[in-house]
Amino acid sequence: MEYRLKIKEEIIPVQAEAVAENNLKISMAEQQFDVSCHVLGDNMIHLMVNGRSVNAYLTGEGGGRNITINGLTCRVEDADLLEQNRGRKKRHRDMPAEVTPPMPAVVVRVMVEVGDMVEKGQEVVVVTAMKMETTLNAPFGGKVTGVNAAAGDKVMPGEILVDIAESENADG
Amino acid sequence: MFDKILVANRGEIAVRIMRTCREMGITTVAVYSEADKKALHVLTADEAVYLGDARPAASYLNMDKIIRAACDTNAGAIHPGYGFLAENAEFAEKCGRAGLSFIGPPANVIRDLGDKTMARRIMVKGGVPVIPGMTRADPDPPVLAEEAEKIGYPVLIKASAGGGGKGMRVVNGPEEMEQACIAASSEAASAFGDGSVYLEKYFERPRHIEFQILADGHGHVIHLLERECSIQRRYQKIIEETPSPAMTPELREEMGKAAVAAASAAGYVNAGTVEFLLDREKNFYFLEVNTRLQVEHPITEMVTGIDLVRWQIEIAAGGVLDLSQQDISGRGHAVECRIYAEDPENNFFPSPGRIAFLKEPAGPGIRNDCGIYEGAQVPVEYDPILSKLVCFAENRDAAIQRMLRALAGYVILGVKTPVSFLMDVLQSKAFMSGETFTDFIEKYFTDWHPADGPADLARIAFIADEICGKTGAKKAVSTADRPASPWDTLGNWRG
Repeated sequence: MEYRLKIKEEIIPVQAEAVAENNLKISMAEQQFDVSCHVLGDNMIHLMVNGRSVNAYLTGEGGGRNITINGLTCRVEDADLLEQNRGRKKRHRDMPAEVTPPMPAVVVRVMVEVGDMVEKGQEVVVVTAMKMETTLNAPFGGKVTGVNAAAGDKVMPGEILVDIAESENADG
Repeated sequence: MFDKILVANRGEIAVRIMRTCREMGITTVAVYSEADKKALHVLTADEAVYLGDARPAASYLNMDKIIRAACDTNAGAIHPGYGFLAENAEFAEKCGRAGLSFIGPPANVIRDLGDKTMARRIMVKGGVPVIPGMTRADPDPPVLAEEAEKIGYPVLIKASAGGGGKGMRVVNGPEEMEQACIAASSEAASAFGDGSVYLEKYFERPRHIEFQILADGHGHVIHLLERECSIQRRYQKIIEETPSPAMTPELREEMGKAAVAAASAAGYVNAGTVEFLLDREKNFYFLEVNTRLQVEHPITEMVTGIDLVRWQIEIAAGGVLDLSQQDISGRGHAVECRIYAEDPENNFFPSPGRIAFLKEPAGPGIRNDCGIYEGAQVPVEYDPILSKLVCFAENRDAAIQRMLRALAGYVILGVKTPVSFLMDVLQSKAFMSGETFTDFIEKYFTDWHPADGPADLARIAFIADEICGKTGAKKAVSTADRPASPWDTLGNWRG
């Protein structure tokens, strides 16, 4: 299998092959790693990597993990999964094509201004309801032509908080 | 001796005090707030009394509730720990009136030493060196210049009404005096509505060195050597060690004598700490007395082998301090790192939350005074200290290496901690060579960012967890009703 793993802004392709139970062959950046692994708990995994012992401690849900090894922590994300999640959202028929709150809410902050170029999925407005914050994303890439709400405003579903003119080359 | 002690504190210090109580055969009572129902100190005590909601005023700072809890549980004494009510003279008095022993100095001593002017007066009378300076303000530059000659340059102009660095000026020589005086005075006037200023000797890059003292109620006072506490952030210590890299046997004897003199002059009883400033020429000056058990007391316990909490309790019960100064000698070197729930990358901002995973370091010479457990909540309401990691070894280098080893094996997931920051400080050239001054963090670590983690190993761990880990196994169970096998997950979302 091939993974594409993201650390900070760098995405590196990684090939992994399960050769036996708990034994993997992993290659990345022209390096080969023989790995045997033992999961020791929900957050703890012991690895032998090319014969060297490594204890790794993990937290995180979904496609991202914070991985601590010898006191240093890396955030690792599955780039494919990140993109797939975006893709999945796109396929949903009921995915809002406008920036509008899913329930009556109060605007916490607006992150764009008129004239800004936004990318599909970019966070544009944060609203709060019942002490829960929800982020509204741009449904497609384009140019912001109107901002109809400000921090503190009470807003209702259907109200369009940010107008975006879709770019012609946007893939949304 | 007391049969039962109420510990009026929380977290690691409450747990630490209860440990000694148990060793002495004393029953312990914890107090707790709404936020601490399942806190470690509550689980550690023999009994626990609920105080009120999470606000300190309703719980750990509420004197009447705490005294009532002690009376209701028939405790004979209250140990205040550090922080909260530890240096509150009124609380010590109220304990006395309720027939309870307060494990700390007498109320009048707490009051005297808590007042800066009064403390200074007591020290001058007791022959303890204080920071040279004027005792009253004068706005007249020639008068200040005259005073500055007496004190010796450089001097610091300070605003009488001051604080926060406003109205402060360093003056390096007489030619700068008039200008600096006018500037400081007008700055003070606009900031505080009061332009009066005074002078103090200015010290460049001093060290913060303190002496532990023990005094009984029968006039016997000793010191238990020094602690170097110069590594501070936001005026709070984060790494302490003993002995100080700056110490010589002669200086130790001299400062120790001054510390004992300070305690005697104040009529001190119980454990306390005399703080000094040490300048580059190894002159030392009295700063203040902390009338409580210090956060960093364990490093003293490690090198002297003496349990300070045990002595606090013995002394409070009227016992005689039967240790002489000759009985006290330091062995080896101890370092303490404070582990807070905080984000060192973001100006040490507190990081409360649930401890998702905890693995404490262990091994020779390691002591971790810890107030949390896996699954525990770190509340937002209180000081975010999680634990104090203390390492002891034969010498300073070995103690630092031991601390680095311990930190690398200390895993706390769920909240941010300064573990990687502390490792970088300990490994820095300046720290290794003992160049520990109070401006250390500001000078060397202002724009600190964590070193990049081992990226390749992290990627490997990620994939191993995906394929062999719980996440993968769970997915397999949900798709097929049979025991998980790593192979089941392989085709899930990948071609």
